[in-house]
Amino acid sequence: MIVLERVTQTFEGPAGAFTAVRDVGFSVAPGRFVSLVGPSGCGKSTLLGLIAGLTPVSEGRIALGGRAVGGGVPPNIGYLFQRDALLPWKTALQNVALPLVIRGVPSADARERALAWMKRVGLAGFEGYYPHQLSGGMRKRVSLATTLIYEPAVLLMDEPFSALDVQTRNLMENELLDLWAETRNTVLFVTHDLEEAIALSDEVVVLTASPGRVKASYPIPLARPRNVIEIRFREEFTRLYERIWKDLRDEVLTGYAQATKA
Amino acid sequence: MKSSPDTRKPRKPEPGRLLAARAGLFLALAVVWEVGARTGVIDPYFVSRPTRIAQTIAGWFAGGFIYSHIWATVHEAVLGLALGILSGVVVGVLFAFSPFLSSLLQPLMVVLNATPRIVLAPLFIVWLGIGLASKVAMVVSLVFFIIFFSTYAGLRDVDVNLINHVRVMGGSRRDLMRHVLLPSALTWLFASLRSCVGFAVIGAILGEYLGADRGIGWIVQYGESLFDSNMVLSGLIVLMAFVTVLDVSLGWVERRFSHWKQQAL
Repeated sequence: MIVLERVTQTFEGPAGAFTAVRDVGFSVAPGRFVSLVGPSGCGKSTLLGLIAGLTPVSEGRIALGGRAVGGGVPPNIGYLFQRDALLPWKTALQNVALPLVIRGVPSADARERALAWMKRVGLAGFEGYYPHQLSGGMRKRVSLATTLIYEPAVLLMDEPFSALDVQTRNLMENELLDLWAETRNTVLFVTHDLEEAIALSDEVVVLTASPGRVKASYPIPLARPRNVIEIRFREEFTRLYERIWKDLRDEVLTGYAQATKA
Repeated sequence: MKSSPDTRKPRKPEPGRLLAARAGLFLALAVVWEVGARTGVIDPYFVSRPTRIAQTIAGWFAGGFIYSHIWATVHEAVLGLALGILSGVVVGVLFAFSPFLSSLLQPLMVVLNATPRIVLAPLFIVWLGIGLASKVAMVVSLVFFIIFFSTYAGLRDVDVNLINHVRVMGGSRRDLMRHVLLPSALTWLFASLRSCVGFAVIGAILGEYLGADRGIGWIVQYGESLFDSNMVLSGLIVLMAFVTVLDVSLGWVERRFSHWKQQAL
């Protein structure tokens, strides 16, 4: 369970204090997949950083599973970064096993479980490869395995597939849904792509242009299991897309005007 | 998809042909030198002859004269290198983890590093005598700064993304040190290690040249004082061979430890 109450975040910038998000409040029930959409620069990634305890919150309250976040990284969360965060000096297998090694799992055991996860993300045979020897899609799969192997209760994802080409991206989205159907973590997925948000989520939260506030929240009553490639052609999908887009469009235009004025 | 030949990158020559070409070039130079010196086109008093140099060097090895000198230089360079690396790493780590210390001493480090070491050599000899210690000090003064700056940079410029990645998966400070900071600093260290070995030898030779009773630098200096260009050149060639062997073996070690890195070409 993720709960945000009146969260405001300000940063000291070169041009004085800058408010990234203002009075943000929403919650994600256990086992739900919620997406956060908004124009670029609206503070989506900032929110993830706050929930993960990487940056201290200026105002408001964030709680994970009933425990307030503050003073460091909360236990049992996973974070899939937009940029690759695999350690370049470790092989794919060593990267996947690292969270277990950190938890003190005996190395033979960690290795075995990492091997199983490499297989699960379709990378059997690539265990000994270093990150730079893998394609962008493969690196994402390794990152995904690295994050899921320790079964975090909460999974934060920051535009994880935005750097991939469209085909690879759709395949990865399907794989993510398949894996999630088994693990059922609580997921907060940040994206600027509304199609992706609707196709994946149980609920889509729209943020306003900077400083980000919650503009509206939409349940997505599409049946699972879903195929993200085909679901886009369904009439329900199009209707949802149109409704949410009307909200999002104004914010995107405002965000664009802000960015070009600056 | 049809693959098209890459027209931008010039093709690398085959290793065998390259080796033959290199040997040929080297030989041609030696022949020109030898013939030039024998016919009097160039004065052998100043430049000697390849065959005479070869004889001299062979004589040094056969007679056993050279070993103690090579050993002296190696001893100074290795001892200085070890001390320089150790002190450089320690101070680099202290700087990286203490913002106060680094702001306090940063200007001093920059000024010291900018000081030409050759002006320090006479001081080292006055302070520490003409034996081993002054040469080691010379080597340390060169190696320390290279290692210090690369350790400091390696620890300070670690990708924040990697740190956050390990923090979020539950990594403690110790895990960060072991899995992120140390490997990152090590790659910087390895990158600078090769130039350090070069500088260590330069430092040892420089120290010997300015005041010593043994070492390859001393041979060169002694030959110079006798106006014996043959001795000076023979000493230089022994030195070059010595540095080449060191560099090749270090290149090999470096490749072994950075196999995870992407090669630029």
